[in-house]
Amino acid sequence: MISENLAQKVIGTGLELKADFVEIFIEETRDAKVTFRDSKIETATSGTDFGIGVRLLYGTESAYGFTSDDSEESLIYLTKQIAANRKTNHETTVAPVISFKTKNFEPVQRPELDPRNVGQKAKLTLLKTADKSARSSSPHIAQVSISAFDSESQIWIYNSEGLKVNDNRIRCRFSVSVTAEKNGERFSASENPGALRGFEFFESLDISKLAKEAAESSLRMLDAGYIEGKKMPVILGNGFGGVIFHEACGHPLETEAIRRKASPFTGKLGQQIANTKVTAIDDGTIQNSWGSISVDDEGHPPEKTVLIKDGILTSYISDRVGASEVNIRRTGSARRQSYQYAPVSRMRNTYIDAGNDSIEDMIHSIEDGLYAMKMGGGSVNPATGEFNFAVQEGYEIKNGKLGRPVRGASLIGRGHEVLPKISMVGEDLELTSGMCGASSGSVPVTVGQPTLKVDEILVGGR
Amino acid sequence: MKVTEAMDYLSSRLIESGVDQWDLIGSESQSLSLELFERKPKNSEISFSRGIGVRLFRKQKPGYSYTEQFTTASLDQCLADALDHTELTDTLDLNLPDKETLPKFELYDYDPEIEEINFDQLKNFSLEIEDLARNETSDIENIPYLGAGKSTGRMFLRNSKGVDYSRHSGSLSAGIGVLLSRGDSRKMGSYSSGGRKLSALKADKIATTAVERGSGLLGAEPVKSGMYTILLRNRIASQLFSMFSSIFYAESAQKGGSRLNGRLGETIACGALNLISDPFQYDLPGSALFDGEGVVSRKIPVIEFGIFNSFLYNLESANREKVSPTGNGTRGYSGKAGTSFSNLIVTPDNHNFDGLCTSAKKMLVIEKLEGGAGCSAVSGEISIGAQGFLLENGKKVQPVDRIVLSGNFFDWIKNIQMISDSWSESFSSIKVPDLVISGVQVAG
Repeated sequence: MISENLAQKVIGTGLELKADFVEIFIEETRDAKVTFRDSKIETATSGTDFGIGVRLLYGTESAYGFTSDDSEESLIYLTKQIAANRKTNHETTVAPVISFKTKNFEPVQRPELDPRNVGQKAKLTLLKTADKSARSSSPHIAQVSISAFDSESQIWIYNSEGLKVNDNRIRCRFSVSVTAEKNGERFSASENPGALRGFEFFESLDISKLAKEAAESSLRMLDAGYIEGKKMPVILGNGFGGVIFHEACGHPLETEAIRRKASPFTGKLGQQIANTKVTAIDDGTIQNSWGSISVDDEGHPPEKTVLIKDGILTSYISDRVGASEVNIRRTGSARRQSYQYAPVSRMRNTYIDAGNDSIEDMIHSIEDGLYAMKMGGGSVNPATGEFNFAVQEGYEIKNGKLGRPVRGASLIGRGHEVLPKISMVGEDLELTSGMCGASSGSVPVTVGQPTLKVDEILVGGR
Repeated sequence: MKVTEAMDYLSSRLIESGVDQWDLIGSESQSLSLELFERKPKNSEISFSRGIGVRLFRKQKPGYSYTEQFTTASLDQCLADALDHTELTDTLDLNLPDKETLPKFELYDYDPEIEEINFDQLKNFSLEIEDLARNETSDIENIPYLGAGKSTGRMFLRNSKGVDYSRHSGSLSAGIGVLLSRGDSRKMGSYSSGGRKLSALKADKIATTAVERGSGLLGAEPVKSGMYTILLRNRIASQLFSMFSSIFYAESAQKGGSRLNGRLGETIACGALNLISDPFQYDLPGSALFDGEGVVSRKIPVIEFGIFNSFLYNLESANREKVSPTGNGTRGYSGKAGTSFSNLIVTPDNHNFDGLCTSAKKMLVIEKLEGGAGCSAVSGEISIGAQGFLLENGKKVQPVDRIVLSGNFFDWIKNIQMISDSWSESFSSIKVPDLVISGVQVAG
């Protein structure tokens, strides 16, 4: 933490060097993790990330710098170096001394147990329970890898508008990955729940059930066949199935893509871009959710942002600069992995809202298709909307009935072309936690959806 | 406190602590980068980073910790955390390396010229790339990504056996992403290049390659599903080997993550394939005289003429099999030790690219892979989107997109029919020539 007086000096230096806006982001994060593999503790690690980021805005042009040295000499030097690259001339101006006013906000978490106080040792029972549960599922379980991670971040933000914010963010995440093996074939499946909560989150999990679910998923895929690759109707499972919307539609809806004119949704506000059954939301305010934030990384309050309402594009996801350039309101979505990144518009908890179709009706409506029950990861080119996603656990659908399990399937298409083809939306909305990587680093998000039917996607198989 | 001062402090505290053995990784780096949009510097960034990681062993039990805060209190906390962790972990019978004479090889991992490169030079170089790209074609709708940057850093490695090595490195990079459109078809073409000094980066090469990559694919359509012979361009072949590199790590095999476990001495690839971990390649980013744990680097033939010859080892995986480490340990200050190729090298053969194109009546040239989520190093499964061209009798028939390649990496390396005589020009530690692979399932 730097003193308020030093914050005034840094901001004053930036303003004297003719920046229109100056912001300081100070972070101290303590994280700790225990990993378990081969039925024993593999590592116990912890660390301290500490640094200060200084951002100067010239109009909507951003000049950013960071350092781990919090001395006055270092921070003033950093600020001058940042400005040196942007000054149109070498004149300085006399800047007023900024008076800070603390901004309070409604916290989206109230942690009960500080992981620092509980200690790493308390995680051992959880790890051993998961290992035992997964291995008891079958003699074909070849490997179980488990980790329990927690982090506590203290954040301070000051800016030249007089804002002063302090936030404390505690997150915990439990991961279990199980590999099954038979006749030289190996398959892995994993479960990775996380929350913006204290150590009580670990205690709330049914660890045995989680590990068993991962084990059973890997075992089911051991006996799976291959699907014939072609265009077909696809049912996307609830929960992590939402990763497709996140990647193929969510990223192109961030003002970071819109302002670069690198999105198929540029200029489409108010237009019908999806089937009328589709309502999509990005919400930063869900209590204790892994992707929630009490305040964004510019000190702005988050909100529940309706992106698509009944198929019509209603909002983008914005930060300070993006909102200004695209001429929309700020949605409290400025995020960054750490002080080492300037904030940009990023998703928080993003999902397609529940509808009223049943999975049974979806399956009955398909003669020849795929039920992608669990999705793996994927990638997207935001500028063209082209995406590619792996199916972690899939099943054939033949003549309106669920068939054999299939593996090695992937889905390929363009996000903006798939949205109008979502013809059925289930009731079973579920959110799952993940990490999202983009220009401001890797941030915790949730993705989600109810079970959906898409009338046609290209499925890769054999 | 500077990094070396903080390391001095921790070294003396570690000696006092009476632990069995320890090592310290320290790092400091500086960077400068900018992104331009519509000819203006939209984002710029400078950074000064540093950190120290501790690994210690008490009663043979490991403990790790790190800090980016160099106050006495933070360093003490870091040491205390690492010591606490030895109360949790199981024993690990591991010996840190002794100090050795390092190989005499000129790496060229730092050029003092980089220190003189300033913001305006990076900006002007980026604008030159943009001008050259726009001169190439009128199909450019937008240039969403354009920028350049430089970074320099020092890494310090010390241990309780007297190892005290350091490395100074620096590199520059520049790249462009152009959005091209013709009719209803839109494609991104991207290319970036790196090197130790600005003159190693060629603005015309960056611009023309990015434009060619995008414009060549405009109007692309899928091909019919079926079995195809594919030609992976050298940069795409490098991408493929990168996704499956961990199957050659002993730690993956020991932990159930590689199907190569127990297959040393077996033929696992076509007879023309030679795969090497080579730390002694001039001006490649993976070259190094010592690895991340202080083991002296050496060249390791992993596959020789199709036969699986060796796994790659770090200290822990080598100790587990009671063999010598191969100098492939990796470690940053904030993480635990891992394994990696130094430079992943597939030796070129003697076929030129045109010869590859005419080696089958009909083949798909793969210019772009889309994501890697459908590829599993554990199972070897490949299911991945691709774009490229359909060739018939060596001539381009149509650009191709919205196809999925399916198969298994272990089958693919057996089915390699030809290996070209050249690597891509990219500044990368992974160098694989163009490959012709038969019998690949394509869905379109």
